[in-house]
Amino acid sequence: MTLLLIAALFLPLFPLSIVFNGALAQLRKPVAQCVLLLVWPQLGVALLTLASHAVPPYVVPWALLTAGFYALRLLTVRDMGQWAGVLATSALALTWALAAGGADRAELHAFAFWFSLPAALVALLAHPLARRFGAAYAGLQGGLIGSQPRLSGALTLTVLAAVATPPFPGFFALLNLLQKLDLSGAVGVLAIWLVWGWAATKLLQGFIFGAERAVASGDIGRISSLAYTGVLGVFVIAGLYLTGGGL
Amino acid sequence: MDKLTILLPAMPLLSALLIALLGVRSRRGVARLSVGFAVLTFLLAAASLAFYLVEGQPHWMSLGRGWGSLYLDPLASLMAAMVAGISLVVHVYAVRYMAEEPGYARFYILLDLMAAAILLMVAAGDLVTLLVAWHLIGVLLYFLLGHDAARPAAQRYAFWTFFTYRLGDLPLILAAVLLYQAYGTTSLPALFELIGADPGAHHVVGLPLTTVTAFLVALAAFARSAQFPLHTWLPYTMEGPTPVSALMHAGIVNAGGFILNRFAPVFVHAGEVLHLVFVVGLVTAILGSVLMLMQNDIKKSLGYSTMGQMGFMFVEAGVGAFSLAIYHLIAHGLFKGTLFLGAGSVINNARKHDGVPHDDVYTFVVERKPVAYRLPWVVAAALTVVVPFIILGLSHWLVDDDFVGRQGAIILLFFGWVTGAQLLFVTYRLRAGSPWRLMAMIILSLVIVVAGYTWIGHAFDLFLYPDRAFSDRLYAAASIPLGTFEVLAAILTLAVVGGWAATYYATANGGLRSGEASPLRLALYSLLSREFYVADVYTWLTQAVLGLSRRLNVWLRWV
Repeated sequence: MTLLLIAALFLPLFPLSIVFNGALAQLRKPVAQCVLLLVWPQLGVALLTLASHAVPPYVVPWALLTAGFYALRLLTVRDMGQWAGVLATSALALTWALAAGGADRAELHAFAFWFSLPAALVALLAHPLARRFGAAYAGLQGGLIGSQPRLSGALTLTVLAAVATPPFPGFFALLNLLQKLDLSGAVGVLAIWLVWGWAATKLLQGFIFGAERAVASGDIGRISSLAYTGVLGVFVIAGLYLTGGGL
Repeated sequence: MDKLTILLPAMPLLSALLIALLGVRSRRGVARLSVGFAVLTFLLAAASLAFYLVEGQPHWMSLGRGWGSLYLDPLASLMAAMVAGISLVVHVYAVRYMAEEPGYARFYILLDLMAAAILLMVAAGDLVTLLVAWHLIGVLLYFLLGHDAARPAAQRYAFWTFFTYRLGDLPLILAAVLLYQAYGTTSLPALFELIGADPGAHHVVGLPLTTVTAFLVALAAFARSAQFPLHTWLPYTMEGPTPVSALMHAGIVNAGGFILNRFAPVFVHAGEVLHLVFVVGLVTAILGSVLMLMQNDIKKSLGYSTMGQMGFMFVEAGVGAFSLAIYHLIAHGLFKGTLFLGAGSVINNARKHDGVPHDDVYTFVVERKPVAYRLPWVVAAALTVVVPFIILGLSHWLVDDDFVGRQGAIILLFFGWVTGAQLLFVTYRLRAGSPWRLMAMIILSLVIVVAGYTWIGHAFDLFLYPDRAFSDRLYAAASIPLGTFEVLAAILTLAVVGGWAATYYATANGGLRSGEASPLRLALYSLLSREFYVADVYTWLTQAVLGLSRRLNVWLRWV
């Protein structure tokens, strides 16, 4: 039981999730934020599988409430690094529902990875924005699509991947989760998914759309752009190959 | 044949990838590449339709991983040909229309991806592929509608569209999950076969799975095809580029009609859901038509017209005439696409000349001046009531002598009769040198329209649903008890005839233009002009949710 409680720290369930988000807020280096987003949930899955207890039934509504709570909060988060953390908290809490549905260890590790990698990339993309405009803050510098098309493209694709848009693996992972839940649980997950999409459009509207303002510096380099696209491309292919379509 | 099926969505996808990866920067290069692939896609779609007509057998093929399968049946091959055709016209039109706009390559990439997603949707052979395409269409439409990134209105209405589409995605996903949990397969042909073998085998929350699934699919269709009260996004999407409006109104918005037809083997076991589809469609048709008449902007008027037409399409599906809904969506797609692409020219010409011929038709319809010569009213009344009845009855009897046994056919005939009678009712008083000749020409036009509509509709029915027994079962599922049907028909007839009499009386006494408007009429006008406050309610809800989110974040210090 203790192991499950510790796992709830790493696969964040509210209020233990405050530790994860607090740690993320303390880290200034984008690489460190990336590492935390990638490693933290994997530790949680490892602990979860080590625990001799099955996931108690009350954890599923707890996980869904946590995911819904953070999805709701995501709507008004405008700092991109923080946005990545809140979205990751909302998504990773769903790992508990998957575990309760009888998923094996590999499935759980993959599920956590499908959601933590795009979140880590979003956090990483906050760095070039902060370097150019002082902060990666939605609404601070709109209209990037005109002045910085490569950065806008990378940001758009990454955010879409983070909110489980097809053909990114998150989409198939959620389909897999849905078929393991009962009707009320499935409706809850679908509502959370809807709010993620809403939050994604709000974030994109704050960065890439809007009137173009004075540009502090140029676009990201072609190599950086190709690197982001390449990572997301590999991510899609790996997801399609490993998830087999979700259902 | 199988390779053709794969290439259908692959062609526009390849075009988008080439433009993006090769970094084609010259506008001419982008246009040539994209239009070239659009031509190829259309030729492939036409070839696959031709192959189907020759072979007459549906094809199902899979990549072998439980999803990624394509199914080319009559519905898919017909829809693919239509989508590819409209996509080609829009591609060509956009070459010059978008020439001065920024983001030319991005526009064509998105247009190609949209064409690929729609083709994937119509040819999807399994639930997962269908969901992928269904979801992607909403996402791509968001970016296409918001193409002009600097216009806040374009962004706002693109978001409305996106959110409504996402709202519509959820019931379809839930339907797919329930079907998979029950039958253990995602393949659409296999699913429909299993459902057909034992429709009552599974239950969800105490209801038959077929009913629940049909209800969820209908909800998804309502959102996708702007049915009341999920219609608010449609009239405002005119903020997007005109080619996108054309593509949306001619193709994307019709997805609701498509999905109803795709799940026809489920709806045939869910008559009560068909009744819901009928009611929602009827309400949407009436409200869409009323709101269309109140607009003074051509594009917004076209938007509400589309809403009304979508309502009629759902009415057709709701009475069991599924194939007629497909015929309707194709016909509507073609004429609405033409109207949108021609809207710019109309506005441009109207700035120079109002284009209104100041002849008898204008003075009669717009200025409502009384006319000196007209047919005797007894003759006119007889013609109004009897002629459409005979024309409609005869043309339907010629294609199917058993049509009186189907309630759905009777309802559609009733609507046809009302429309025909309305046409004659408003035109018989028109001033003309030879009123008999004018009336003969109007009746001849009506005969041509009705006969054409009936014959083509019948051909669609035979093509899409060659199994006549299945088609009859769809009509039977949509039927209601005969006594109820007759009472409803009588009430409807009285309402229509009463409406005509009131209109005639008001017109004859000049009541429409004289005196002050009554408070009731003013209240009704306010309600209509605010579009029933639906958008206001949504805005209030949105603000409430965002306010709650903000307060939670402040309380928790943003961690």
